[in-house]
Amino acid sequence: MTNYGDLVGGDRVHASLYADESVFADELDRIFTRGWVFVGHDSEVAEAGQWVTRRIGREPVIMTRDRDGSVHVLANRCSHRGTALCWEHRGRATSFQCNYHAWTFGLDGSLRAVPYPAGFEKDRVSLGLDRPAQVDSYRGFVFANLDGSAGPLAAHLGRGGVDMIDRLCDLSPTGTIHLAPNWIGHQVHSNWKMWPESDNDGYHLNWVHASMVSSAPDTYYQETVLGGETGNQSLAVDWGDGHVELDFRPSYRRELAWLGVTRERVASYCDALVAARGAEAANRSLWDGPPHGLIFPNLFLGELNLAIIEPTSASTMVHWHTAVQLDGVDEAFNRRILRQSEAAMGPAAFIVPDDAATAERMQLAVDGVQPGWASAADPRGWIDMSRGLGRERTEPDGRKAALISDETTNRGFWRQYRTVMSR
Amino acid sequence: MSAAVSEAERRELEAFLFLEARLADTSRYAEWEALVTDDMSYWVPAGPVQPGADPAAGLSYINDNRARLATRIRQLQTGKRHAQTPVSRLARSLSNIEVLAATDGEYTLCATQVVYEVATQASARLQLWPGRVTYRLRRAEDGSLRMAAKTVELVTAGEPLPNLAFLL
Ligand code: FES
Ligand SMILES: [Fe+2]
Repeated sequence: MTNYGDLVGGDRVHASLYADESVFADELDRIFTRGWVFVGHDSEVAEAGQWVTRRIGREPVIMTRDRDGSVHVLANRCSHRGTALCWEHRGRATSFQCNYHAWTFGLDGSLRAVPYPAGFEKDRVSLGLDRPAQVDSYRGFVFANLDGSAGPLAAHLGRGGVDMIDRLCDLSPTGTIHLAPNWIGHQVHSNWKMWPESDNDGYHLNWVHASMVSSAPDTYYQETVLGGETGNQSLAVDWGDGHVELDFRPSYRRELAWLGVTRERVASYCDALVAARGAEAANRSLWDGPPHGLIFPNLFLGELNLAIIEPTSASTMVHWHTAVQLDGVDEAFNRRILRQSEAAMGPAAFIVPDDAATAERMQLAVDGVQPGWASAADPRGWIDMSRGLGRERTEPDGRKAALISDETTNRGFWRQYRTVMSR
Repeated sequence: MSAAVSEAERRELEAFLFLEARLADTSRYAEWEALVTDDMSYWVPAGPVQPGADPAAGLSYINDNRARLATRIRQLQTGKRHAQTPVSRLARSLSNIEVLAATDGEYTLCATQVVYEVATQASARLQLWPGRVTYRLRRAEDGSLRMAAKTVELVTAGEPLPNLAFLL
């Protein structure tokens, strides 16, 4: 049995954790089976019968809306002989009928009908679809815990998860959001953990994204993450529980910098937000904008993008993303968000492909590292994550924070990793 | 439906498509950009396209107006675009070229394209990019052809794709 305490230190991790298949199997169990995992947003299944397919770790699931309005997460696997019930990304159904022997399941996963019932002696109730033992949601964000042992969702989200989701949803005049009509999958030959890391790494921007910075120089990254080591006030934040954030708020020099517009250009949006929440709260949101952070282990809130980090093997993953759309705003406003998303996210965008190339280069270098090397007489394969450890401070609200370029976010992810992998 | 054009005109149109393909394959960004109009649109949808679909309604892999296409090319020309450093080794095959419409110096063509890519930046995998391409070509004032729109409907659109940082 791997002792994860030996492979994750406070300021370093062992590279075998990105490459070893038995580590990956342990992660599917301890993180993706025993923990809370983000599944989707309930607006994706706004109407009864709408469904989308996802993976919780490697478990294929369907998220669907029942006629009574409740959202179900069901195994996408017929309880008869295991055929997938849905094989597209999304659709609409009144029930799920398996194409192999036509067993039919309700939107709640219960077995409703079996052809030629005379030969069938088992109790149908025992043959409903597998389902996560716990499903819960916060402001439309649906999470599931396959084995039921993870405790309440509120405890998992903690202050950090709630604060980040609140800041995102509170940008909407109605306090609610929906998602763009599609998700885009970005296939990367890297371990999945490189994405909680790089999505929330404030140190790499000047190098990995140098080409974006010099070819599109008027983005808000100028004021929030670039400049010298102490040249801006943005923070790398560890909220605890594995939730981490690059907090750009202290760096914004103007309201709506995150949207790249002035107030006059989106006056009706600003007026609606003020009418809904009062001038003080609305103006605060217009300055602060959306969060940039990770909800452990697989949900990245990338300003007005959502990304799901889907592990597919020890050395491959898919970075799925979509754009957040605000309810209660005009179409032109939401389309501006779509165009921003296309510039930043996905296989052909100006930003994330360079992270993907970097992650693949990292995978090339860690692929052969063995866990046993960590404690050998001549140890090999350790990688450093110590930057800024000595200047981390605890904020009055309990968050750990340091300079944007410090590895506080990465250490926060790995501390939670060590905790859950050691259970 | 296909449009009647003279044999000479058809050869001229095809020659333009082959030139465009070769410049994209060889990452000759400035020469490629010289082929496009000031209102060029470059669209790679992220799923099957319904006839008459509005590219702006959802998320695309690429949905470039002329300004964003210029940014894309500037980024490639920095030499620091890691996703294309070094550039992918590319070879594309164009076939099934049809002239769908031809009026007043403006032409709509379609073709089938397969791009073979070795992603030399990291994984060095051979990747295939099959798709159907629609072009809108227009004559400039001097009579030469320019590209006003290129849409590439990948047969893999909607499934997870690796980096797509070269000119498709
Ligand atoms: S496998 Fe589904 S009905 Fe038999
Ligand atoms: Fe990055």
